[in-house]
Amino acid sequence: MRHLIPEFEKMKERYPEGFESSLVLPCLRRIQEDRGFVADEDIAGLVEYLGVPRIQVEEVLSYYTMLRRAPIGRFHLQACRNIACSMRGAERTIDKLSRKLGIRPGETTPDGRFTLSVVECLGSCGTAPVVMVNEAYHENMSDEKLDRLIEELK
Amino acid sequence: MPRLTIDGREIEAQHGQTVMEAATANGIFIPYFCWHPKLSVPGNCRICVVGVEDKGGEWVEIACNMPITEGMVVYTNSEKVRARRKATMQFITLNHPVDCGICDKAGECTLQDYHYEYNGERSVSIDAKVHATKHYALSSRIVLDNERCIQCTRCVRFTREISKSNGLGMQNRADHSLVRAVEDGSFANDPYSDNVIDICPVGALLSRSFLHKARVWYLKPTASVCPGCARGCAVNLWHRRPEWRLRSPEQRARNDEIDRVTPLDNPAVNGPWICNKGRDLAKVFGRARAEAPMLKGRPTDLAGALAQTRSLVAAARKPVAVVSSWGSNEELAAFKAALGGRFAAFVKADHEPEPGEVVEDAILIRADKNPNTAGARALFGEAPPAIPKDADLVLVWGEGFDFGLIPAGAKIVYLNAWLQPENGHADVFFPVSVQTERDGHYTNFAGVTSAFSKCFEKKAGVSDAEALFAALSGQPGGGE
Amino acid sequence: MPGRQLIMNFEVTPTSHTLEAYRARGGYETLRKALGMEPAAITKEVTASGLLGHGGAAFPVGRKWGVMKPNPGEIHYLCANADEGEPGTFKDRWVLEHAPHLLVESMLITSYALGVRHAFVYIRGEFDLPFRRIQGAIDEAYAAGLLGAKLFGTEFLLDIVVYRGAGSYVCGEASGLITSIEGRKPYPRNRPPRLTVRGLFQKPTVINNVESLANITGIIRMGAEEFKKVGTPKSPGTQLVSISGHIAKPGVYEVEYGYPWAKFLDEDCGGMLGGAKLKCVVPGGISTKVLTRAEIEPLNLSHESVNPAGSGLGSGGMIAVAEGTCMVRFLQVLLRFYHHESCGQCTPCREGMGWMHRIIDRIVDGKGVPEDIDRLYAISHANDGTTICGMGDAAGYATVGILNKYRDEFEYFIQNKRSKFDGRLECPA
Repeated sequence: MRHLIPEFEKMKERYPEGFESSLVLPCLRRIQEDRGFVADEDIAGLVEYLGVPRIQVEEVLSYYTMLRRAPIGRFHLQACRNIACSMRGAERTIDKLSRKLGIRPGETTPDGRFTLSVVECLGSCGTAPVVMVNEAYHENMSDEKLDRLIEELK
Repeated sequence: MPRLTIDGREIEAQHGQTVMEAATANGIFIPYFCWHPKLSVPGNCRICVVGVEDKGGEWVEIACNMPITEGMVVYTNSEKVRARRKATMQFITLNHPVDCGICDKAGECTLQDYHYEYNGERSVSIDAKVHATKHYALSSRIVLDNERCIQCTRCVRFTREISKSNGLGMQNRADHSLVRAVEDGSFANDPYSDNVIDICPVGALLSRSFLHKARVWYLKPTASVCPGCARGCAVNLWHRRPEWRLRSPEQRARNDEIDRVTPLDNPAVNGPWICNKGRDLAKVFGRARAEAPMLKGRPTDLAGALAQTRSLVAAARKPVAVVSSWGSNEELAAFKAALGGRFAAFVKADHEPEPGEVVEDAILIRADKNPNTAGARALFGEAPPAIPKDADLVLVWGEGFDFGLIPAGAKIVYLNAWLQPENGHADVFFPVSVQTERDGHYTNFAGVTSAFSKCFEKKAGVSDAEALFAALSGQPGGGE
Repeated sequence: MPGRQLIMNFEVTPTSHTLEAYRARGGYETLRKALGMEPAAITKEVTASGLLGHGGAAFPVGRKWGVMKPNPGEIHYLCANADEGEPGTFKDRWVLEHAPHLLVESMLITSYALGVRHAFVYIRGEFDLPFRRIQGAIDEAYAAGLLGAKLFGTEFLLDIVVYRGAGSYVCGEASGLITSIEGRKPYPRNRPPRLTVRGLFQKPTVINNVESLANITGIIRMGAEEFKKVGTPKSPGTQLVSISGHIAKPGVYEVEYGYPWAKFLDEDCGGMLGGAKLKCVVPGGISTKVLTRAEIEPLNLSHESVNPAGSGLGSGGMIAVAEGTCMVRFLQVLLRFYHHESCGQCTPCREGMGWMHRIIDRIVDGKGVPEDIDRLYAISHANDGTTICGMGDAAGYATVGILNKYRDEFEYFIQNKRSKFDGRLECPA
């Protein structure tokens, strides 16, 4: 993560003094954005850079659902399974995605292209069912839109 | 000073105290798992709830985070409080494995005690318990059972606030939270790591060296002082109760061994903590012992050894003594009284820091690895041993002295507890007792004097140094 | 339109969120006015307006502010809560996407009132467009000298940092939010101390919901008296309602407090999907108790109407449930959520959420027993007012709400080992 330090230095300028600890989460997000996940060496590097206890970084990494310590597929499909989405067919959406890709939630396709996850409410209940693909929200995912999405990403 | 009422009794509290602190200071018991007087307040176990009187009834809240207010009326055992505690106990024991039969904590387990006191009924759940890692090596010294863990975070907070190693954390979330050591292995270097074993309220964190050794009710704690450094932490040495002594020939030797060491809370010295070195005192005191007096390596009887020593002392023109910094105040005083006038005495460091050992830190550990340097120096001065070339009699007391520093031709009288090669090089050798075999006092680096008590009987051929000195002075009662 | 509009009162276009468009609507004029007032006068105005918090607890905003008096030399922080994790709620997102400058201006006014020099927008990690919009608005404000520079000849200046979360419902809880900003695992905190006394890095901190803050500019612009003319005496102003579920026109609507509930559903929201019949409504996010069709008939959307009926408007996350929906499976999805989101810190929630989840899974699996219903009640009750944060209580309310109204469905499921409604969650129509 050393090559990201200049960016982190700029980030630090925008925070009040004494907020080094705060930078743990934005730095981890940026490291993950860069590498695809947070590697063990990234943890050591970040701990050295910020001067926070290493255990703090480990706890944060283990707690948040969006942070990961191992690589995943190129396209991370995250399908909401919460109530409003389920009321508009999310369970069928998840099932369809699972069968179409040949993997269960939590797994990655053998070619490393798709990872399927089920997630909780994404704050998009009015346009349910919702699937996130990497950073983007894909809303109102009817069967047709789902088919088209997978085709485009394949 | 604010006054409040707890269970009908008016007590005086201090500004800024919580109800828990005020109650504890006044001998009123409120149950707790996660609270600890020396750690921050997390308020997560929820067992310390008390009822507070309010217009329109009683509200119930945790006492550990409740600031006292003037005139507040608190109930520690109202119906509401009892109902809430019972529900909390149901939750805490929901996924707790009933391992009592094989768990070392049995007999000193807060969870056992509170279950009987505040619930006492079987679980109302018919669902399988959540399983987690068992028998996990948190370090080479500590075994962790995550199923037994009640996530009180005392261990995590200890490493954050007291030992400052930040060696432990709570990974994940919800009911799959797990205590884990930091991944760089640094928890293994925390010299205070084993304190988490004491403060764990359940059998989640256990000492590997004590694992499955003995039920705690077979053991008794004897108050003592750790000799590992000049801090002189108060400790409890646990050993077999006489009525539970092991009788078989193969096991019998364990009756005279220290089974485990725990801190004894001495606010003037160490509070409720000790370092890991103190935990390993069984190894220190379990080393091979010298068992018989000797003349130049040939075993003899005590009378003969004493007689020879008396004549050596009488004949010596320049006797020098190298005094043990492990001698108790009583022994040191006896030496001073008996031979202090005849001998030029120097205090030696019986032990020096070992390679890899923490030399000194800002918490408890002192660089001086001897328990009574202060007591010895008070009587014999601060100069390190410097044997003059014309010394013709050197009395060495305690281990750790380089016999090469003794001028050739000088006679040697040696008092030592341990079986060591030098014992045979002395003109007269006396095996002496160790701290666990007698009562006594040490004075630590800050001038605080602490008492230690006898745990074991010394073997037949071994003498108390105090008695030897008295005997050598020709005083009545000397010798055996 | 369900009543007068105070926030959603402009046409949304591809550029209506920009600084230029906001200025054209009168943006940042109120800031100028506010900086001509005494800080205490602003807090006084907000208190007089009766504005209630829009995060779910409906705590009077002015009263929260009143604890944090400006004190030169003392560091104060302001955090806008844009975590929006309560299932059914997606209205703060509307403000972030379409009226981000309204939030920025409101945060400037609020910070001036409270003696804040550094403010944060805590936005849930999943939000992408809302993040880009609010960050874009903040960047525009910096470029225009509205942020990071002294304003209108005063000594006041403000810096705002957008802090992105990483997936945790509990970060929507005020103390979890600030612990997250501290870069640590976001465990909520016990009170006392109140966060307005010791909050972010132990400094006095006010955390307000995005929608609560969005109201500040309007209140200062029109004055408390004008504001109170909108809505009802006990529920002044409006609420941004997110409606979803089996409704024909889901989305975000600004509803004037006091507006008739049934009318809102039937007319403004187009009624139920495919003409289905309404079974019940989750009024304000899943942590509020469901109300049946019959119960909501006489009610209007205000706190004083909904609270006595045994529920609350919460975060405004309304979910319309059609007849034929299986409420046992409904509760299963909710309990799975609460279990997933429990931070694990305190005993009743950590153990209770998992326990309730396992019980409901077992019921849905056809292995329920009659005592399970009482167990769910007991666990809910044991989480009511006993936990560090409100999540335990929330799960309890959701559970008790559904059990109270639909106990028969649970008894049916347990006895017959199957759902009364084929386990249906989707609209039967």
